[in-house]
Amino acid sequence: MQIIEEIKKNELLSNPSEIQKICLDKLKLNPLPNAKNELWRLSNKSKFSSFLDFSHKNKESKASLPYKKNSRNIIRLIIGEHNAINLEEENYSIKELKDSEIINYIKKNICNFDQNDHWSDLLNHCLSSKKNILGLNISGNKIPPIEIFSASSSESLNAKTLILFFEKNCKVDLLQINLGNENSSLSQSTYLCLEANTSVNHGVVSYGKNKSNLLNSLNVIQKAKSEYILGSLHFKFNYARFEIRINQLEGNAKTTIKGIQITKNNDQIATYTNMQFNGPNGILDQINKSLADDKSHAIFEGSIIVPKIAQKTDASQLSRNLLLSKYARIDTKPQLEIIADDVKCKHGATISQLNAEELFYMRSRGLTLAEASKLQLSSYFQEIISCIPVSKDRWDLLDKLLKEN
Amino acid sequence: MVSENLVKDVVSEPYKYGFVTDIETEKISKGLNEDTIRLISAKKEEPEYLLNFRLDAFKKWQKMEEPNWADLGYKDIDYQDIIYYSAPKQKEKISSLNEVDPKLLETFDKLGIPLTEQKKLTNVAVDAVFDSVSIATTFRKELAEHGVIFCSISEAIKDYSDLIEKYLGSVVPANDNYFAALNSAVFSDGSFVYIPKGVICPMDLSSYFRINSGDSGQFERTLIIAEESSSVSYLEGCTAPMFDTNTLHAAVVELIALDDASIKYSTVQNWYAGNEDGIGGIFNFVTKRGKCLGKRSKISWSQVETGSAITWKYPSCLLLGEESVGEFYSVALTNNLQQADTGTKMIHIGPKTKSTIVSKGISAGNSVNSYRGLVKMGSKAVGSRNYSQCDSMLIGDQAAANTFPYIQSQQPNSEIEHEASTCRISEDQLFYLQSRGIEFEEAVSMMVSGFCRDVFNQLPMEFAAEADKLLALKLEGSVG
Repeated sequence: MQIIEEIKKNELLSNPSEIQKICLDKLKLNPLPNAKNELWRLSNKSKFSSFLDFSHKNKESKASLPYKKNSRNIIRLIIGEHNAINLEEENYSIKELKDSEIINYIKKNICNFDQNDHWSDLLNHCLSSKKNILGLNISGNKIPPIEIFSASSSESLNAKTLILFFEKNCKVDLLQINLGNENSSLSQSTYLCLEANTSVNHGVVSYGKNKSNLLNSLNVIQKAKSEYILGSLHFKFNYARFEIRINQLEGNAKTTIKGIQITKNNDQIATYTNMQFNGPNGILDQINKSLADDKSHAIFEGSIIVPKIAQKTDASQLSRNLLLSKYARIDTKPQLEIIADDVKCKHGATISQLNAEELFYMRSRGLTLAEASKLQLSSYFQEIISCIPVSKDRWDLLDKLLKEN
Repeated sequence: MVSENLVKDVVSEPYKYGFVTDIETEKISKGLNEDTIRLISAKKEEPEYLLNFRLDAFKKWQKMEEPNWADLGYKDIDYQDIIYYSAPKQKEKISSLNEVDPKLLETFDKLGIPLTEQKKLTNVAVDAVFDSVSIATTFRKELAEHGVIFCSISEAIKDYSDLIEKYLGSVVPANDNYFAALNSAVFSDGSFVYIPKGVICPMDLSSYFRINSGDSGQFERTLIIAEESSSVSYLEGCTAPMFDTNTLHAAVVELIALDDASIKYSTVQNWYAGNEDGIGGIFNFVTKRGKCLGKRSKISWSQVETGSAITWKYPSCLLLGEESVGEFYSVALTNNLQQADTGTKMIHIGPKTKSTIVSKGISAGNSVNSYRGLVKMGSKAVGSRNYSQCDSMLIGDQAAANTFPYIQSQQPNSEIEHEASTCRISEDQLFYLQSRGIEFEEAVSMMVSGFCRDVFNQLPMEFAAEADKLLALKLEGSVG
């Protein structure tokens, strides 16, 4: 918790930028999220403090990527290691945002940030240096898939920020990979702005190594007639927290969220989603899955907010959880807050173990228990993984997961 | 197109229980301190242990903070501006109902509560509580023949001290929460039920709570003990006059079910809800909890919540005994500026325990209606199951319906299912019913009644009819 002490004593940064100053001022009032706040209630304090145990001042090492870029037709970027980006092709363009644009955008956002609700983002902006902020403006269609890596270095706390503007009529597959190194913490804040008629298929794959921690915050703004599909996977973290905030600014947009978190050993992984409909005819289809084994703890909290203006909203949220060990724990809280009356909103939640009847059926057909369990798990994962772009053909996530479970 | 106003008219039925009974009452002065508690205890001639229980609870209450996590907004309650004891003046001891002040009997008559002999034919034993004291308990003799004890808690403290000492505070301890602590310190009266081993209670028991005084709070305490293989159905009703001030009601209900015992606790809550501008109404902060201690024991809560300006109520079940069962069936209706944050807690501790939650929320006007429920599977709850269903119906575009289910599991060999949906009265269905010659109001009533059917089916006969009527009246004028 050294960082918190430094924030309190005003010693965190010797020469803070304007944004860092604003964030520090906000954090100084309340350096740690309030434990009474519902959003932080289930966070394991000792695990959360281990996130803050590393120094942000250590030298960053080069990210070691899990697989080679084996196709030319992929745009690969590493936050903190990228050079100036300016791609102008016949059908599309990807340009880096100017510093002033990035500063203005972040400033505009953090004005409204609350210390508890956006604590992760405020901390990120305090610690994220100019080098570790990547801002892109993407337009056109037929854009090759984009892969963006963000990694932490051993024994450090690294903060990375990603800001992406998708211009009108843009259609893109985007894969964001967060890599946690051994004994490290990664703070990742991502902002996506989808203009009208855009379609973004966004995959977020986060996986760590021994004792890595992650605070991953994703803020999405969708304008009318945009479609946003998020497929996410988080696993192998001592402590990980994935905060998703999606705002359908004008309604008439479609959002799909499919996420899975896998916890083993003594891990704690939490997903918090906040879906805000600020216009009529919005659609949400959300599934969150958790799989908890050993002594781990998986958490899901999802809220759907439908104000009066958001008539004809159609939202469904499902939390499906598998509890595989008697020492593991799953907490789930899907919630609806509705004022508009002409809406279709529903949510559901289940917690159970592998289906005994299905296992029995497969075993009666000659499969071993291990094979049958694997088969059942693969179908459990497949629904989510099929939503993660780019990875499908080359990086066989499913295999990787099944080997580990 | 259905006129919104037309539907709104269906909800605004005036509160018919809002009259005040003009009766001489004995009140203590406003304010809460140790002396107030000693005074209440002395008035009730309580034994030493109970006074200590109250004082201990008061000390705990002083150190506690009023909870603010519920989705409720209300002005601060001044706990020193409340009268903690108010009772109608009457003769020292009442040996028969004939000695009860006729004005009181008349009041309960007006409320439809059968206290007088000729009305006792309904075969429901009633304990009527007026402000801080129990006025009368009917059918006591008949119940005593079966060994059933049904009396006010003040009498039980005197006559069945051993049972009270053993069980009071065993389900809801004094430090459980802010309002339970307050109740433990100042509770004035309430009902006590003891069903001995193997007895199926021959009639439904019921208590009726009436707040008459505008400046006093009501803090009743109910304790029901069902011994092995016994069974009881208990009904509770409540009303209050219309005042433009808010009155505090902080009750505690404790249920204990031993092996193979079953308790069914039904409530129709119709406290005064305040006027259309949200002025007046009861602040209803209630802690209700049942402990399924024995194997195969069963506790079932069913409630129809239509009144109160503020409702904060989570009837819960602690499922300790193997194969014990917890049930919660609820209809909560809010209109105008009412706010309700209500739900249940099902804590599965023992193996093979089962629980069912069916909650129906109807929000009309500018009200806020939230379901907040917890389902928890402890690590020893092997083979346990829960099923929850929470449906909300919105009437008008100003009302809010929220659902906050908390689901926690530490037992892989258990199953939890939760589902929730939100809808409104469909114009297609209304049109269909109207095209078949059914009046608009009746059609709305039918649809609301259909929406709540799963819960009404669980209510005892007398209540089911009343609840249906109550809902139809309350809803008059509000669908759109």
